[in-house]
Amino acid sequence: MMTYIVFILSVIFVVSFVGFSSKPSPIYGGLVLIVSGGVGCGIIMNFGGSFLGLMVFLIYLGGMLVVFGYTTAMATEQYPEVWVSNTTVMGVFLLGLLMEVMLVLYVLKSEEVGVVFKFSGVGDWAIYDTGDSGVFSEEIMGVAALYSYGVWVVIVTGWSLLVGVLVILEVTRGD
Amino acid sequence: MNPLIFTTILMTVLLGTMIVMMSSHWLMIWIGFEMNLLAIIPILMKKYNPRTMEASTKYFLTQATASMLLMMAIIINLMHSGQWTITKVFNPTASIIMTSALAMKLGLTPFHFWVPEVTQGISLTSGLILLTWQKLAPMSILYQISPSINLNILLTMAVLSILVGGWGGLNQTQLRKIMAYSSIAHMGWMTAVLVYNPTLTMLNMLIYIMMTLTMFMLFIHSSSTTTLSLSHTWNKTPLTTTLILITLLSMGGLPPLSGFMPKWMIIQELTKNNSIILPTLMAIMALLNLYFYMRLTYSTSLTMFPSTNNMKMKWQFETKRITLLPPLIVMSSLLLPLTPMLSILD
Repeated sequence: MMTYIVFILSVIFVVSFVGFSSKPSPIYGGLVLIVSGGVGCGIIMNFGGSFLGLMVFLIYLGGMLVVFGYTTAMATEQYPEVWVSNTTVMGVFLLGLLMEVMLVLYVLKSEEVGVVFKFSGVGDWAIYDTGDSGVFSEEIMGVAALYSYGVWVVIVTGWSLLVGVLVILEVTRGD
Repeated sequence: MNPLIFTTILMTVLLGTMIVMMSSHWLMIWIGFEMNLLAIIPILMKKYNPRTMEASTKYFLTQATASMLLMMAIIINLMHSGQWTITKVFNPTASIIMTSALAMKLGLTPFHFWVPEVTQGISLTSGLILLTWQKLAPMSILYQISPSINLNILLTMAVLSILVGGWGGLNQTQLRKIMAYSSIAHMGWMTAVLVYNPTLTMLNMLIYIMMTLTMFMLFIHSSSTTTLSLSHTWNKTPLTTTLILITLLSMGGLPPLSGFMPKWMIIQELTKNNSIILPTLMAIMALLNLYFYMRLTYSTSLTMFPSTNNMKMKWQFETKRITLLPPLIVMSSLLLPLTPMLSILD
């Protein structure tokens, strides 16, 4: 099972994505979002990216999703919609599950997936071993490079998030 | 809307397009598109009624789908070429997906259905920004990937757009929908010549933006959104009727007005590349466009239908002063003699 651990985690990832994109009530969407966040963290960690996985858990699940959960709990309705309560939601969920099952069978039968392009597994993050300063990993160096070479990306992303907040406030403000 | 917030959001729309046009990394281009989309939603929703909200939702959904397709094309390109720099897209699958995504952003057929509905649901000024500024960013990306675009797909979309833009505008009396169909047709002309000579695409974009700016500003000046309302401008500002006539004929592509310049150059470029049937078809289908422009000028500038006396008065608020209007009118009608200057563009 351990050789297929990434594959199993990715299947759970996709199933939980199908779970919230079939649009039950936001509370249940948040529930499967937690599951998908945790499983995504596991996938990243299997490629050697321990820092980024911990970031996902701490910041995404422990920060943003908690705030989302609290605001949804304040705004929720008396009988929130589950996956089985509404025919449409259940239909979309089952359709997504069916497509995922078909894809899983396709992947298990053949070595590589060739639907639109050929895809036969990804590599890990590289680990460099210099003589004097020890071992360092490519993934955490990438995070460091974001703040040194990639200052423009930080500025643009930060500005987008700020404007996102302004836009959301403006849209929901009403007259 | 709070003026400070409005300015910030408008500047972010500009910043988004600038980031798309200036970046050399595919991810930054995607971020620029998303920033542009996010910031224009409150501008589309400036008035809070269900129509504007419906229009902004439709715009958001279609553009977000197009951004998703763009991201997929970027990732396929990354997988096959191993780098994120903007060059022509070498993989044919990624190229086709990217062309479809950019066509969705521009409003080319078969992805044109959102353009009339969104343009109709928003105010005239927002419609102006939507139909002119928002076309710059996707067109700049198409320009940069133009050596690798699949000719069949792009030409099919272009010719169908000219047909749909002309044919669909025939039954419209609402001015914003007429401008939307005109935009679809002009985008078709622009993308038809993209593979042969991308400079002409940029020329057509420039002249189209000038003409559309002029038309929208004339509509804003006379506060009219329907053909009936436009036909009463003789009462408010008689000079505007002549200006509407000239600008509309320029949009239809009649010589000696400047709207003829891009069409002439495009037809010439296409015939130089040994395609004769295609420009003939395009020119014939541009006649449909000309027909509904002519109908607008007929009811506005050329005739005054018999009506009762109270219909002859047009209710008006204080006249809006649009400083940019006179130079725009001159530029959108009198630029044709400058055509030999195009030789500097090489």
